[in-house]
Formats: sequence, structure tokens, C-alpha cells
Amino acid sequence: MTAEIAALVDAEHGLISRRIFIEPEIYDMELRQIFARCWLFLCHDSQIPHPGDFMTTYMGEDPILVVRDGAGSVGAFLNVCRHRGNRLCRANDGNAASFICAYHGWTFANDGRLTGVPNLREAYHGDLDRESLGLIPVAQVESYKGLWFATFDPDAPPLREYLGEMAWYIDTFVDRCDGGVEVIATHKWIMPCNWKFPAENFGGDAYHVQWNHLSAVKIGLSRGVTANTHSTQRMVSPGNGHALICVGPDDVGDPPMPEIETYEKEIAAAVRRRLGPRANLINPIVATVFPNFSLLRGTSRTFRVWQPRGPEKTEVRSFVFADKTSPPEVKRAIRQAGIRGFSPSGSFEQDDMDNWQECTQTCRGVVSRRMPINNRMGLGHDRFDPDLGAWVSDYRFSESNQRRFYRRWAELIEAADWGSVGCVTARQVEHA
Amino acid sequence: MLDAETIRSVEQFLYREARLLDERRFHEWLDLFTDDIHYWMTARTNRYPRSSKAIAIFDADRYTDENAEAADEFGLFDEDIGTLRARVARLDTGMAWAEDPPSRTRHLITNVEVASETQDGGVTVHCNFIVYRSRGETDQDFYVGARQDRLRRIDGEWRISGRRMVLDQNVLTSKNLSIFF
Repeated sequence: MTAEIAALVDAEHGLISRRIFIEPEIYDMELRQIFARCWLFLCHDSQIPHPGDFMTTYMGEDPILVVRDGAGSVGAFLNVCRHRGNRLCRANDGNAASFICAYHGWTFANDGRLTGVPNLREAYHGDLDRESLGLIPVAQVESYKGLWFATFDPDAPPLREYLGEMAWYIDTFVDRCDGGVEVIATHKWIMPCNWKFPAENFGGDAYHVQWNHLSAVKIGLSRGVTANTHSTQRMVSPGNGHALICVGPDDVGDPPMPEIETYEKEIAAAVRRRLGPRANLINPIVATVFPNFSLLRGTSRTFRVWQPRGPEKTEVRSFVFADKTSPPEVKRAIRQAGIRGFSPSGSFEQDDMDNWQECTQTCRGVVSRRMPINNRMGLGHDRFDPDLGAWVSDYRFSESNQRRFYRRWAELIEAADWGSVGCVTARQVEHA
Repeated sequence: MLDAETIRSVEQFLYREARLLDERRFHEWLDLFTDDIHYWMTARTNRYPRSSKAIAIFDADRYTDENAEAADEFGLFDEDIGTLRARVARLDTGMAWAEDPPSRTRHLITNVEVASETQDGGVTVHCNFIVYRSRGETDQDFYVGARQDRLRRIDGEWRISGRRMVLDQNVLTSKNLSIFF
């Protein structure tokens, strides 16, 4: 069954069956084979900085409680009471030593231990093993440069290996100066589309900017670097399904706001020194970490998760971020650029929704569904670039990233375990 | 105490503004704002009140309560006259796809309370709104919230110099905010 579904992706020829965007059985398979096995983004360090801080989120459709316990360690648990399965914590965030279920009052400490059961002695006759009934933890939790990720799969490779060469590219968003970044605003909303459309779009659809977003470029919200025929734009795939759009090292993707421009000029040289020689070759502006975590630095600065909510629905959780040490007026400008560019009201973002909605909904027709998605742009014109540690398309537009994104999707759908799929690093490719 | 005539003129002003929006007369709508307008909207969030027994607070100093909507944490619009004009200019490009074909809206303005007279002879107005949006074939959205406007008279006509709105959702159930409020 999994092999049959994996075969719906013909990455070699750039043809993707549209069944994978609409059929409930395939969606269930994605939840099991991809979301229950991959490293998924939870939150940023700055959202839970102090002992007792917590946030609720999702991994796939599983509700998750992320907590920094009294000792400062970060844990992630199913946000589900071990008694009747009620959702334990109903708030988005806060600070807690313990969580008490609203149904019968079972109490869990912020490290997951079950510490309180009403009428324990009389009603259970001493026959309830509290120690085995703590909150169910995820299999692994790790952070990379302040970004917390988790996986439900104990056999998943370590996060650093999963990210592979993508790690350096993530640095260019969140590790440009001492202290990294912090989240300064949050947007959450529901889009009527399959989660893969936004994920692949942020990972490599430079092609749509010059048309779909031209109105936002025209009113001066952005320098429109991805629509600029003079930029040296490339599609970059560092492996394992991760994907980026990058422009040239001297192409400017920042929003044309004086506070941001002045700040960027001041820090430019130091940022390049910190990021190393590759920063003299390339400037990443938008990316997707497989499967559903995207980062954006052109026009607006946000990272966001595309949470699957059934085949036809996605919940976006988007976080505007700024360098932690940047001055308040820069943070204010970045927050405004985030709202005005990429948020529900964003002049860029609002024009994406209908496309993704209609790409999803037209899959409902059984005949329309037979028509594959055409991802053939630039087929045979990408190459491995050892300096970039990635497979690269040199022309401004290509669907090479989409092909690698869906190839990874198919590999994971088919694979029985991590042993048969694994992760590559660029160094491994170079030495092979 | 404001006289009935002033209150009535404020109400009529707000209703007329709503009609301009529903008739997509956005350039006339822009003329209702002063050049120093700050146009701001936030979503809400979902936090336990301090009295809740659902959690035992670990660090009381870290506790942030339901007043989050006063802050910028969940801002959805943060506009000045220049960016409002740019948003309208975008609609005129013929390429603003979120509004092409256009949304069909109906702005309902209720609970109008002309609260106080400000130093400059202006007024502060509280109201509630329901904005219905129908789009495409069957898409429907209800945007419900509260609004606080500051109005002042310029050449005898009311103009809006400040607008703060709270949209009563945590996770927005609408795919976008491609309309005005």
C-alpha cells in the first residue's frame, strides 16, 4: 500500500498525482509516516524563556504541551490527560508548576509526572500505578539555535543529522548575531488548503512572485528581489527534502524601511564574518524545513508551521522574529513589515490563499484528480554545488526544489523505518 | 454631556463610512481619515485568568493575563495614512488577487457609545461591529469585534484620527483579512 502511494510521486519526470492532496487515506498515511516520524518545529526559546513557561502546539494533529520545567529543561508531551483523554491544558501559553485536568482533577507536574488523583486511595483501592501514568512524552526533543523541535520516533536520527546541510542555511535566518533572534509577534489562522501547497511554495516557488505578488511589489512594500530579473537567484536543496530560495550575496531582500535598511548596513560585515565564506556566495531569503516549517527573511521576517488539519485545511502559526540585540525601533519596523507583508492582512500573503485553496479544491473532482501537477520546470538543469553543499538550479526559476520536496515525501511514505531512508549530508554526497 | 445632535452626527458618520466600504468606494473612504491616523487591529488570545484552578502558577511574575489584546503581540493591522493609501492603491492595480473578483461585504455597526469629549473638541467613540464577507462561490466569513475611534472635526466634518480594533478570535477562522474595517 505505501509503495503504491509513494509511486504517485514521479519526481524524476516532475509529475505529482493530485490524489495526495485530497484523499483521506493518504492524509492518514502522511500523519503516520511523516508527521509521527519527522522532526517537527515546536516553538522558539524566546517563547518559553523562564522556568515554568509553557506553550501548547501541535505535531501533526496531535496536541502538544511544551514546558520548561522548574530545573530549566524543556520537555514536550501529548497534551492529553492519561485518565479519559481530555485535553489537559486549554490555554495557548502561560507559566505553571502543574496542570490540573478540568474533567476529574488529575494533576500533572510541569515535568509530566502524575502528582494528584482525587480519591486515589478509596476509589482505586491503592491499585493505580501513578508512576506509569505521567503525560506521554515525545520520543526526542532537541533545539537548534533556539528553535525547538521534537519527534515521536525514537529511531529518528538526531536533529542535527536530520537538518544536515540545512543547518547552515537556518543560521542565516536566526544566528546572524550574538543572542540570535526573538519572537516579537504571533499570527494564527486557518487556510482552506492542503498543507503541502504552502510548504512547497515557501521552499521554492520564486516563479509566482513576479505575477501573483506584483501588486504588493508595485506599492513599494518590498524590493521584489525575487521578481527582479537582475538578481542572481537560485533554487537550493541541501538534502532530506529541505529547500530554499536564495538570491545573490549583494541582492537586498529587506523591506524598504529606513530603520531596517540602516540597521542591516551596520551589521552586514559582521554577519558575513559570523556566517563564514558561504555568505559571500549566497543570501537565503525563504525556506522550508521538511515537512512543514518555513522561514522567511525577504520583505517580512517570520517563521511558521503549516499544521495539517485534514487534507483540505491548514492552520498557520506564524511568528515574526527579530535579532534579539536589534534596537527597539528596528523591532517595531520589523513587526510592522510582518503585519503589512506576511500575516492574514499582509499584502503579499493574502494573495496566496485563493491559489492554494483552489489547487486543493479542484482535486475533489475525480477526473480533475487524474491530471497530475506539472513540476517539470528546469528538469535536468540542477547540479550538486560543493561550495553550497546543495543541489542547485542556477536560473532564477526552477521546480527542482519541489521535485526534491515531493521525492522526500514519497521516500518517507514508503519507508518502513528510518534505517531504510536515512539522512544525507552534503559532505557524504561529495565523498561518494 | 454631549448633546443628542452631536451623538446623532457621529452615528450617521459611522454608518456612512460602513456604506462606503460595502460599496467599495475606497478612495472616498480614505478621505475620512486625518493624515495622522493610526489604524490598528489585534486578535485575542487564550490564557487562563489569574483565578483559574487549572494551573498552579510557578512564577507569579511571569504571569500574563487576558489583557494581551492591549499589546502588539497579536497585531493584524498597524497602519498609517501612507500604508492605508498603499493598500487601496494595490486594489487598483488589477492584480490584487485576494480581492479579484471582489469580496461582498456588509459592515454592521452597533452599540455606538460616544464616550467623551477630548481636549481638541473631538470625541472618542466605542462601537461593536459584525462584518459579513461572502466570496467566490460559497466562502463566508464573520468578523466580529469592538472598535474605538477618535474623531475630530475638520472644516465642520468628522474625520477619524485614531482607530483601535479588537477581533474576537484567537485562531482566525478566515483565510485572510483582505477587506477593511
